Amino acid sequence: MALLRDEDRKYLENLFKENLKDKVKIILFSEKSSGSKLYIPGRIECPYCQQTREILEEVVSLSELLELEVHDFLAEEILAKKYGIDKIPAILFQKDDEVLNLRFFGIPSGYEFSTLIEDIVDISRGETHLSEKTKNFLKTLTKPVHIQVFVTPTCPYCPRAVRLAHQMAMENKLITADMIEAIEFPHLAEKYQVSGVPKSIINETVEVEGAVPEDIFVEYVKSAIKA
Amino acid sequence: MDFLLIPRKEEEIEKEQDVIIIGGGPAGLTAGIYTGRARLKTLLIEESSIGGLASLTATIENYPGFPEGITGKELSRRLEEQAKKFGTKILDAKVLSLTLDGIWKIVETTKGIYRAPSVIICSGTKPKKLGIPGEREFLGKGVSYCAVCDGAFFIGKKVAVVGGGDAAVEEALYLTHFAEEVYIIHRRDELRAEKITQEKAFSNPKIKFLWSHIVKKIEGDKKVERLILEDLKTKEEKIFPVDGVFIYIGLTPQTELYSSLLKLDENGFIITDENMQTSVPGIFAAGDVRVKSLRQIVTALSDGAIAGVSATKYLEEIKFKGGI
Repeated sequence: MALLRDEDRKYLENLFKENLKDKVKIILFSEKSSGSKLYIPGRIECPYCQQTREILEEVVSLSELLELEVHDFLAEEILAKKYGIDKIPAILFQKDDEVLNLRFFGIPSGYEFSTLIEDIVDISRGETHLSEKTKNFLKTLTKPVHIQVFVTPTCPYCPRAVRLAHQMAMENKLITADMIEAIEFPHLAEKYQVSGVPKSIINETVEVEGAVPEDIFVEYVKSAIKA
Repeated sequence: MDFLLIPRKEEEIEKEQDVIIIGGGPAGLTAGIYTGRARLKTLLIEESSIGGLASLTATIENYPGFPEGITGKELSRRLEEQAKKFGTKILDAKVLSLTLDGIWKIVETTKGIYRAPSVIICSGTKPKKLGIPGEREFLGKGVSYCAVCDGAFFIGKKVAVVGGGDAAVEEALYLTHFAEEVYIIHRRDELRAEKITQEKAFSNPKIKFLWSHIVKKIEGDKKVERLILEDLKTKEEKIFPVDGVFIYIGLTPQTELYSSLLKLDENGFIITDENMQTSVPGIFAAGDVRVKSLRQIVTALSDGAIAGVSATKYLEEIKFKGGI
């Protein structure tokens, strides 16, 4: 069943046609049996894997420049480890044989669907919308930075926080930026004390509540590097 | 799946506009529909999410013409589509200042400077804070102003909603989808919310009321664990254990940028006449941000329409006088 309405499909088709430049491969780590009613003992449950796959299949069908590659999280453990995937559904992006350090953990639905589309456009065009000041700061990084942004699909403020982190990861490979759908990963929400979104965790040490402006977020990144 | 939000296209936007609308809630989008239809070059600037506060409402039940109700995000999406259909362009940026240069109104944003002879301010309101210890400290750790964003973190838990107006009671009802117990804490002994909403709340077994109580402090270790309440009638203080607290005690206007330029009332709302004209010719205000008696989506739309038409008339007048 098509998830997108006809008018939205047409709109996105046109948006991709006008804006995509280079090929982007979307890599999904999922579970093979997702969607099946068969219960397999020992297999982890992934209630949103099937829907995530359906969304991505529909998105890649809208442009010849997009491609989807699906991997089974358990059967392809080594590959999952290589990409640092420890939970599913997980979405990564590959451009020119290089896998980028920005990921979606959990379903990109609701407001986060727009994040997914905007990410795809930026990756394909090889450009971000960050300010020159931010870009210059990101060039000075010497150590890895890990940004985890917790969201819910019904949070209108959340895409701003995820987009900011993802664009930072596009600018510098030392940054890994993850969207984490908090409701799907309650153990992480619990671990990081998330009961409001968006909430960003930088290098496990610095917490940012809310969608803060770009320059303020950069200051948080700086303080996480110093910590 | 609820919905998939489709992103906006990045557009080329000219620096010189006929009308600049600040704020993309229902008032701003409606103003854009009217100025767009008047064939005025219109730019709408929104710093957060299109739809404003309306987009945070799970279901809007009193919006005329939709007997089955409409979700805040669906209404916002439709208004946006309609504004764009008639040519309004949308810029995703924060407004930094509004100044005057002769006939021109100069709007400085995080994405450049734009100017137009006419500006419609629809910057709306933001949730009023309680201003008590713990409120800031526990933001995102149990203190929330957005039930649709954060409600799902309180499945099976006990939460408090502070306030007694429409927003407080509606959000309390929404939270019953997740929480086991929802306590409405209100400083008066009756609600101000619409009667029909009150009836729903009174008949919902998950909702309980603490009348004539105020919250003095929000306490906990790493997250909210309890509230310190005062019973206004007995002056007694009590400890009230909760997992979360949602604050809906009213709205405060977002008018800091305009306080030296425009006449505001004592609460900071913009004073306009019935044509939405502010104290500065060519600057209009519409929606929750202005002084008015009823802040609802339907009145915001009405304001937006009037402001759109007033801006159109103003431009015709100054063009007639050779102002541009």
